[in-house]
Parts: sequence; structure tokens; C-alpha cells
Amino acid sequence: MKIFVLDTSSKAASAAVWEDGHLLADCWQNTGRTHSVTSLPMAENLLADCSRTLEEMDALAVTAGPGSFTGLRIGMAMIKGMGFALGKPCIPLSTLEGLAWNLRGWPGLICPVMDARVGQVYTALFRWENGKMHRLMDDCAIAADELREHLAEYGAEPKILVGDGAMLCYNKFEGQLENLSMAPDHLLHQRAGAMAELAASLLAEGKTVSAGELAPVYLRLPQAERELKLRQQKGE
Amino acid sequence: MQKFISSSPAETEQIAAEFAKTLRGGEVLAFRGGLGMGKTCFTRGLAAGLGIDPAEVSSPTFALVNEYRGGRLPLWHFDMYRVESFDALYSTGFFDYLDLGGVLALEWSENIDGALPEGTIYITFERLGDESRSITIEGGAGK
Repeated sequence: MKIFVLDTSSKAASAAVWEDGHLLADCWQNTGRTHSVTSLPMAENLLADCSRTLEEMDALAVTAGPGSFTGLRIGMAMIKGMGFALGKPCIPLSTLEGLAWNLRGWPGLICPVMDARVGQVYTALFRWENGKMHRLMDDCAIAADELREHLAEYGAEPKILVGDGAMLCYNKFEGQLENLSMAPDHLLHQRAGAMAELAASLLAEGKTVSAGELAPVYLRLPQAERELKLRQQKGE
Repeated sequence: MQKFISSSPAETEQIAAEFAKTLRGGEVLAFRGGLGMGKTCFTRGLAAGLGIDPAEVSSPTFALVNEYRGGRLPLWHFDMYRVESFDALYSTGFFDYLDLGGVLALEWSENIDGALPEGTIYITFERLGDESRSITIEGGAGK
């Protein structure tokens, strides 16, 4: 079983090749959001370096969201194009679940968190238990303070933040939550290599779609949190 | 805060070109002021000051964002006139451009006031006469 995995959902870009139960090769870079320029050569070089071709892949996996509007569309366009041309099944991945897999095996609550701007975060909650990743909270866009309230419900259970919003939340929550930590730098961002096992398990469960059905998942930002427009001053 | 008085479009361009020399990349310039106040004219001056051909500058009303390259820094010229919600703003790619190290110039920034990042530089245009305008530049990292 061979899977090509791509992530361009956020600041970093990465690609990986999974083969018969193992990660065969991966590539990751965090050099600014120029995914439209870097991702195709990255994919091409990675495959060439490990003497594999897209044609021999059983499926193509991509992070479908949440994430950067532009980034998600670049990843989607690439995988849709490849999947359509080669007739390959596609595996949409939750960016947040993919992030949680960076910490596969970590004992405690795994909280992926991405900066959605305007005081909001994209987040979810997982726990690794008995060799499986269990989801405790759906992917959502909420205010950082609301996430803190969710995490507080778990009391003293160790919690680890991962993702490009981890630092923001760690600084905000420090001293207000018990046993809070942050993923080390090399595990902080999305990594296709870490998501490959998730992609393989989804493929085994038959959770694939056609290239035509593959679509980005944008999480709506809550509208009520703050006013977008400048309020007119009194008397105007 | 800096305040300028411009008596013509050409002078507005000059003021903008001088101001452009102080930009280092990553700035968000939020224009305030209604129609015909010289916002596009100011942007043309910014382009010139950054070493971009000012003839490339046009109103981004239909494209939402124009990208001008070839200068010292890339310049992204947004028109937020039709942006009515956070979702609409997200789908302009605005949040992605914030990380790219260029200069963002925002027409009708009043529409997205709640989403402007810390350190935004506000450029307010006020009408003094047919051609003359006052241009106030305030905000920025130093505040």
C-alpha cells in the first residue's frame, strides 16, 4: 500500500510517501508561504529521490482544512489535479487531526491549535489511548478564551498544545491551566510525514473520495465575537 | 502622528513616495476617507517610492486585490468596499498576505476595522477644497 501525502494548509509545506506500513520518505520546509512555488518541485523531488512515481500510489492524501485560504486551495488544486489525471482515490485529512498525530503516543490531552486571527483559533482535542487516537472535540473555530475553558474541565490531566497557535495560547493560558505544555519546535507545525499513518488508517477504512468530490473544509469564523466594520461615530 | 497638506494629486503622490522610503515590509496601511479623496493616487505614489512602475497601479475594485512587484518590496493593494463579513475577508486571502513580508495598502479599511492587526498604520484623507487634502499618518509599531 502506497500513499502520497501533501500539506500546504498553513505556514509550512510538507510532503511524504508512505509504503507498506512505514514512512518511506518525507520533506518539510517552513520558509514562508510560497507554496504555489515550492510544493510542486518538493513533491517531484521527493518522489524522484525515493524512486517512486505518483502512478504507483494507491491513494493521494491532502489536508482539507481548516487552514490558510490560499494554502488550502493550493494543496487541493495539486491533489485534485493529480487525482483526476491518474484516476487515484483521494484522502481528505483534517489539518487539526493531522497536527495531533505529531504527538502520537503522548500520554495526555493533545490539543492542536491554529491561529485563525482576530482572536480566534481553529482547534480540536484528542487523547492517545490504547494505541489509538481518540477525538474528544470536533474541529471548530472559537475564541482562545473559550478553548481555555474547555481545557480547564480536564483538571490536572497533562495537556499539550501543538500548531502555529500553540505559542499564542500557551502564553495566554500559562498559570491558568494545570500541567500545560507545548510541543517542541520540530513537532510544532503540520508534517505530512506524521499524517501518513492517519492517511493509511483512513484508506484502510475506505474513507476516500474521488478527485472531483475532494473539497476544502473552511471552518466559519464566529461572527458575533467582534465588529468587523468601524462603527460610525455618534452624530454622524 | 504626521500631518500633510496636499494641494494636488501630484503632491499626494510625492508625499506617498517619500513615506514609502520609511517602509520595511510587513506594514499594513489602512486608508480612511471616502470616494475621490486620493487613495489610489496615494497608492501610485507608494509604488513609485518602492521602485514599482506607478502605471501598474489601478483601482482593485473588481479584483479585490492587485499585486505590484518589481520594487524594493511587494505591494498588495486591496479594496475592502464589498467585504461584509469575516468569511468574505478570509476568502480574499487577506490573512495570508499578512505573513508575506510585503506592504498592504487597504482602501475602504473602515469595512474591516475589527480585523486590522496590531501596529496598523492609519492614513486618513480629509477634503479641504476641490483638489486639496489633508493626509494624516498615525499608528504603526511605535504608536
